[in-house]
Amino acid sequence: MTRQAFIDRLRLGLSGMPPQAIADAIADYEAHFDEGLAAGRSEEEVAAALGDPARLARELRAEVGLKKWEEQRNPSAAAGAIFAVLGLGAIDLLILLPILMAVAGTLFGLIIAVIAVFFAGGVVFAVGPFFQPPGGTATALLGGIGLMALASSAGAVLTLIVIAFVNALVWYGRLHYRLLKPAIEPQVQG
Amino acid sequence: MAEAVQVQLKKGVLELCVLALLSRQDSYAYEIASRLAEGIDMGEGTIYPLMRRMQTDGLVDTYLVESSSGPPRKYYKLTEAGKQSFTAQKAEWAAFSRAVEAILGDTK
Repeated sequence: MTRQAFIDRLRLGLSGMPPQAIADAIADYEAHFDEGLAAGRSEEEVAAALGDPARLARELRAEVGLKKWEEQRNPSAAAGAIFAVLGLGAIDLLILLPILMAVAGTLFGLIIAVIAVFFAGGVVFAVGPFFQPPGGTATALLGGIGLMALASSAGAVLTLIVIAFVNALVWYGRLHYRLLKPAIEPQVQG
Repeated sequence: MAEAVQVQLKKGVLELCVLALLSRQDSYAYEIASRLAEGIDMGEGTIYPLMRRMQTDGLVDTYLVESSSGPPRKYYKLTEAGKQSFTAQKAEWAAFSRAVEAILGDTK
């Protein structure tokens, strides 16, 4: 692959990222080519040693996504981090997806359940006293408050679990592309 | 804590090597990549995402040095946090490899 082809593929892989980040990354690899050529290597040799530009673009892109999640823990950053990790490889997607779906599905179900319990508590609190409950008005009021408090604390625990889940994904992505891929798999020419 | 360090250790082998090289002397990415490509078999291109992260993590700092051949080079040096991280990771690595060797030594 020529220098121009390498840079073009890298640029293609990075498209959509902030212009400054793209320019910085391209400048790094241009400098690498300059150094390599000055050291007497050919463009093809340098490109081959660098590895697949599409893969490098995915790593750079994932790094930005993961960083964003570490800085701002909100749903869009979480989605970005998850997609960045999934973007690292189609095989990973096949392995990860069922686990991801199961865990995400369970968490979603629990969140719905917690919301339902909270509203049930609200209904018991507001309406219960008018229907002569077995334990009297106070029981309905306290029971309603109890249910709502229970739902709130369960919601807090769930939030922690969701954060831990996304962190685990981030950890997996990092471990995967930083250690396993570059160290064990030979870099295949893209 | 120990578990977190282990996780850090696994994903940080490359990072540890870069920290080690920079602890000896400041260097630029092409040189670091060449050394790592020689030593451990890795694509030279992976150095750039790694350097970028180490910079955002505050482990390394950059400065420009005029070069006789071509445009100025971007040199990397360890920050105070980078030096501390190197000392800590080196100790963890030594403990980890001792533990693995002890287990391997038991097998015949």
